[in-house]
Amino acid sequence: MAVAPREVDSGNVLQRKQSMYISLDESFEIRKEMYRGQQYSQIYFARLHLMRTLLYSLLPTWKPHLPSCTVLGLEEGKECIIVGTLYKHMKLKPSILDEYSKERSSSPLVKPHNFMHSDDYLVLEDESGRVKLRGSVLLPSVYVTGIVVALHGKETGAGDFMVEDILEAGLPPQIKLPLNSGEDKYVVFVSGLSVGSSSANPLHFQLFVDHITGHLGDEKEQGIAAQIVQVVIAGNSVEFPRGLLNGQNLGSKDQSRLSEPIKELDILLTQVAAGIPFDIMPGTNDPANFSLPQQPLHRCLFPGSAAYNTFRSCTNPHSFELDNVRFLGTSGQNIDDLAKYSDGKSKLEFLERTLRWRHIAPTAPNTLGCYPFTDRDPFFIENCPHVYFVGNQEKYETSLIEGSDGQVVRLICIPKFAETGIAVVLNLRNLECHALSFGTHFSS
Amino acid sequence: MSNKGNTRKRPPPTPHPAATPSPQMKHQAAMEEEELDEDIFLEETLLQYEEEDSQRRAFAERLAKWKRPALSTSYLSQSENIVFQQLEIDYVVGDSHKGLLPSSSAALLEWVLMISPVHQILEGRMREANRNNAVPKFVRRIELVQRRSIMHYQQQNSQPFLKIVVALPTMVTTCRGILDRGIQIDGLGMKSFMTYESNVLFALRFMIDCNIVGGNWIEVPHGKYKKTAENRSYCQLQFDCLHAPEGEFSKMAPFRILSFDIECAGRKGLFPEPSHDPVIQIANLVTLQGEDQPFVRNVMTLKSCSPIVGVDVMSFDTENEVLLAWKDFIREVDPDIIIGYNICKFDLPYLIQLPKESYLQLLGYTVTKKSFYLVHSYLGFVSHTFLLRPAMQRDHKLSSYSLNSVSAHFLNEQKEDVHHSIISDLQNGNSETRRRLAVYCLKDAYLPQRLLDKLMFVYNYVEMARVTGVPISFLLSRGQSIKVLSQLLRKAKQKNLVIPNVKQAGSEQGTYEGATGLNTKVAARALVLEARAGFYEKPIATLDFASLYPSIMMAYNLCYCTLVTPEDARKLNLPPECVNKTPSGEIFVKSNLQKEAKDPLVKAVLDGRQLALKISANSVYGFTGATIGQLPCLEISSSVTSYGRQMIEHTKKLVEDKFTVVGGYEHNAEVIYGDTDSVMVQFGVSSVEAAMNLGREAADFISGTFIKFEKVYYPYLLISKKRYAGLYWTNPTKFDKMDTKGIETVRRDNCLLVKNLGLTKTGDDYEVKAAHVELAERMRKRDAATAPNVGDRVPYVIIKAAKGAKPLLRIFEPILKNASKELLQGSHTRSISISTPSNSGIMKFAKKQLTCIGCKALISNSDHTLCSHCKGREAELYCKSVANVADLEELFGKLWTQCQECQGSLHQDVLCTRFSVVLSLLIASLRIGSLVLISAYLLSRDCPIFYRRKKAQKDMAEARFHVWLEMFIDEIEPKHSIGDRRQAVTDVFSEFFNISLKVFCR
Repeated sequence: MAVAPREVDSGNVLQRKQSMYISLDESFEIRKEMYRGQQYSQIYFARLHLMRTLLYSLLPTWKPHLPSCTVLGLEEGKECIIVGTLYKHMKLKPSILDEYSKERSSSPLVKPHNFMHSDDYLVLEDESGRVKLRGSVLLPSVYVTGIVVALHGKETGAGDFMVEDILEAGLPPQIKLPLNSGEDKYVVFVSGLSVGSSSANPLHFQLFVDHITGHLGDEKEQGIAAQIVQVVIAGNSVEFPRGLLNGQNLGSKDQSRLSEPIKELDILLTQVAAGIPFDIMPGTNDPANFSLPQQPLHRCLFPGSAAYNTFRSCTNPHSFELDNVRFLGTSGQNIDDLAKYSDGKSKLEFLERTLRWRHIAPTAPNTLGCYPFTDRDPFFIENCPHVYFVGNQEKYETSLIEGSDGQVVRLICIPKFAETGIAVVLNLRNLECHALSFGTHFSS
Repeated sequence: MSNKGNTRKRPPPTPHPAATPSPQMKHQAAMEEEELDEDIFLEETLLQYEEEDSQRRAFAERLAKWKRPALSTSYLSQSENIVFQQLEIDYVVGDSHKGLLPSSSAALLEWVLMISPVHQILEGRMREANRNNAVPKFVRRIELVQRRSIMHYQQQNSQPFLKIVVALPTMVTTCRGILDRGIQIDGLGMKSFMTYESNVLFALRFMIDCNIVGGNWIEVPHGKYKKTAENRSYCQLQFDCLHAPEGEFSKMAPFRILSFDIECAGRKGLFPEPSHDPVIQIANLVTLQGEDQPFVRNVMTLKSCSPIVGVDVMSFDTENEVLLAWKDFIREVDPDIIIGYNICKFDLPYLIQLPKESYLQLLGYTVTKKSFYLVHSYLGFVSHTFLLRPAMQRDHKLSSYSLNSVSAHFLNEQKEDVHHSIISDLQNGNSETRRRLAVYCLKDAYLPQRLLDKLMFVYNYVEMARVTGVPISFLLSRGQSIKVLSQLLRKAKQKNLVIPNVKQAGSEQGTYEGATGLNTKVAARALVLEARAGFYEKPIATLDFASLYPSIMMAYNLCYCTLVTPEDARKLNLPPECVNKTPSGEIFVKSNLQKEAKDPLVKAVLDGRQLALKISANSVYGFTGATIGQLPCLEISSSVTSYGRQMIEHTKKLVEDKFTVVGGYEHNAEVIYGDTDSVMVQFGVSSVEAAMNLGREAADFISGTFIKFEKVYYPYLLISKKRYAGLYWTNPTKFDKMDTKGIETVRRDNCLLVKNLGLTKTGDDYEVKAAHVELAERMRKRDAATAPNVGDRVPYVIIKAAKGAKPLLRIFEPILKNASKELLQGSHTRSISISTPSNSGIMKFAKKQLTCIGCKALISNSDHTLCSHCKGREAELYCKSVANVADLEELFGKLWTQCQECQGSLHQDVLCTRFSVVLSLLIASLRIGSLVLISAYLLSRDCPIFYRRKKAQKDMAEARFHVWLEMFIDEIEPKHSIGDRRQAVTDVFSEFFNISLKVFCR
């Protein structure tokens, strides 16, 4: 429950609105699990098991006349349906082996943005084996390793599988949301604050904080600010020189360089926390673990803001419910990785795909770091969120998609605040969305 | 002299099927007798074993689809020409077919300088020597021919030679021996004779006489061949032929290439032995040359095995059946080339040594021990066995030749490493685990095929065979000299020259030395300018001599036939303008005197196929210089080297004279080193580009033909002759690589770690007396199954060198003055040890205490991990520790996904480990530290990430521990008692190592 601080302004008291917050992060918490020799096969197995049950339940409505079989059970020329995990064989995929096999001087210093190649092909794998996929229906450029799909086709003489049709899991079921009812309440998303980096302008962030806490603008603007019920900080809040973290002992100067950005962030967050409840998610550059799901940023980093009960340190991916509106989002690693290993028109398309594949991060663990879960796959999307956001993108983009069963999902790409000065505001009442742009201009 | 025996080659029945070329000489031998030769195996015990039970019939049907397409009837009726590509040549001495009278005659000839009455004597002696041979007539014929010896310059064109034709190939040696020893001739007394071309291998002789080169196409016109009456083989065609013109085909026949691998059950700690351990799986892949994908993929397993997509899995109940099935398979598929990795060292001998020797008798395979190919007398084909490993070792310099590292190097693909002991476990499991093994086995069979394609072995070797004119097997199993000899013989034949049989190099050598009065050995390799050792921080331009030796040979007309012996020189009284006196004192006539007398080899070298020619061109020089070679001629080689030296010195002089401050250049150029084929010049300029320009200018200035400017080294470290290193620049913007010659980093007896450290920290060495032998011995004691075999490379690091061995010094000496003082003496080498008594006296009063993570101060309050002083640094310390975790997590993820990639499966656990060994090692590594790091690296021999993967796993466990420890700072759940903490902490560790952490928790 959020505390509603009072905004006192010339006798006219604006009351901050409140909303019901339920955290759904439990499945992303690692807690007592440990690295003790698990391998990644188990998470693939768990994923395949979950998804196969789901896909099998869809088969009667998709192609009831066709038998389903395993990769091993394929017979040449016989049409059937197979369900399995896709594996994309990529020519340009970087390999850790290159660190060893190539000479130091010959390795390229600049990493390419995209590892696609026209020779890439897909393979379908289940517990029993692998089969190479052919056919023009299935585009290697769209799919990535780790997705579970059902394929209709037949085995060719060469031992390949000629794909004729594909079934993806599709959008998960959604709890209906009575839209356009009740009052306007806003949720603010921001990501890539990058406090401490050269590109971040502290003034922008201060403006942002002042705006949402209602210290700026006239009464009307303050009225809108009072309707903000939640702030979500989607990753990369700080940035410090990576080199500092490797050395053993730091000089006192370096010690402060390391702690300075966090202190600065804490000061600003304390201002936010005093006014509005906020969630802070870890991102790639934050002082958190690397692999997904990233665990909450430690409270000891925020001695000031953590004292408030409006401060919530969350996992990445992060899921919560606000007045029955379900949110799901990440700090951007999953979508960035998809962009490296597949093609899409825009980042929104990747977002939509992950929803249809029912998996937040299909490329984990293959190209995206991931904890070796043994008995579950926390990235499986069981229930369709109403809002699906991703942080640290190049630009602000949003769209509303509708599923076949009437699901409505608001997709949001949150830009990097430090570079664009843009935060995103979502209206809980109708899921409408707009950008909040902060800029400074000095004319002398 | 007659000769007989029909040379029967059983070449690959390609779709254009095979034939048996026999030599066709102008003189046709009459053949009256029949002969069997013991080289060849014609046991009569063949296919008794045809009891066909129904099971086998079913199996046969399965195999039938892989059969070669049937021959057209025209072949059978002998009405069509047969065209085939020759892969291998072999001969059988057997019946000649009377029906085809002029058909078979073995090409056996020998020219002897002698006169005809010798015939009788020779015949008599031969009879003595071959008493047990039932040939009525040994010397078939002696005829007089006009030839000329290749040695020395002669003015007359030809001399009479005697050509002796004997009955059997083996008799050539006897005959030669007799003549060498000398025979008594009436009126002339005892006389020994110099034989010419009597040491040429029969197969090669035949090919040369018929003008067949290795791997070429042979056409057999119809009517000239005949189907053999008795079908001794399963070869599709077998016949005698007599005509073998050279075809103008350069394409490759669609050979059937069989790649196979066998797996056998092993016992723990022992290498599999045929007498105890059965063959459990055989994987086969058959590919047509030139196609990407194999068209047959199958695996034969002992006991049931789950199916594999795209692979025909055949399961049998007994080992016997597996092997029989394999035999049938090979018969049906009838491969032209059999490949495999290390099959000659392991797979094939293993099959041969199987206790029930029946198998291979049954199969009818005989592996001739020396020449690595299979001769299959019953099955009736000669399959060329392509041994990838020897080929690899010959052609590529790698640090390890295991299949894994070779494929990692060339294909960027790792193979799983499944240990022998795991193989048995997999085999003894269920059909799923056996399937797992089969997949592994198939990969083992597939990789050689991929390597063959990738490195284009077939093309390269066939081309090489064509150029040099020897069968492909010679390329693999014999050295360079046979190639040169073959070319020499071919050229000599065209020019009516004969090559003397220089029998014992040692003795001959003595006579040459005596004759010339010069110590010819001096010239051998002395082509190096003195090196000015040091570290050069200015760019060093390198002027290269393009194919120096062949060029010299051509330019100065150095050849066997232009060499003038000193006596001849006096006798002939050649005008000085017609001869070249080489710097080493030999005399060669100039080319105007001896028309067309340029070194025939070098001439051939000039027009032809690049790769093959380049290799053989350089070997010509070696051939002439090899004292125990076929035809040494040190006069030539010493002349070549002396010319080379002269040129290098000339170049040095030119460069140092021209590029001077006086001559208008910025600096004085300085030649710092000259090697066999290059000269290193320091022009004194400091930019790479300027050095390149000057280098080019110098090359143009000296001569456009011989010298090329190629590269710049910057910086450059010259240690001594043949030992140098530097960054290699061919364009001014970016260096290409680090080039090292002869120094520790390039020597393959270093581990990867050391290599990567490069120049600055080469820390181990090989010089210590046979360290590797010692190591191998220790490894053998530890576990016989993983111990290295002869030829394997064993990576190791020397931690402590023997006294006096100071490899570091050798490296640093050129750079640092007083290297030994600075490096090996001083405070940084001192190690201070403080002994801590563990259980005696004072330690009874000592107690362990927690220290602050930040400053190592003791903490009294056990609920915290930081002292009061460091309390404010929580955030910073946390960041550092969590960054460590993040790095490890990233590594963990990358390493394990890479292993999944190698394994080729997402849903199965990575097997590729020696889990038990490694676990125990890691436990130990906690105790003794880095020592075990080395052992772990040794065990994982080839997989560079194996150790790191394991380490990442272990580090993760540790790092997590730290993070959690930090989490306690905040007392998220303050109710944690000390007991809970200890539990939490030990949980972390005990799951991986069972080590209690008394240090951390009181």
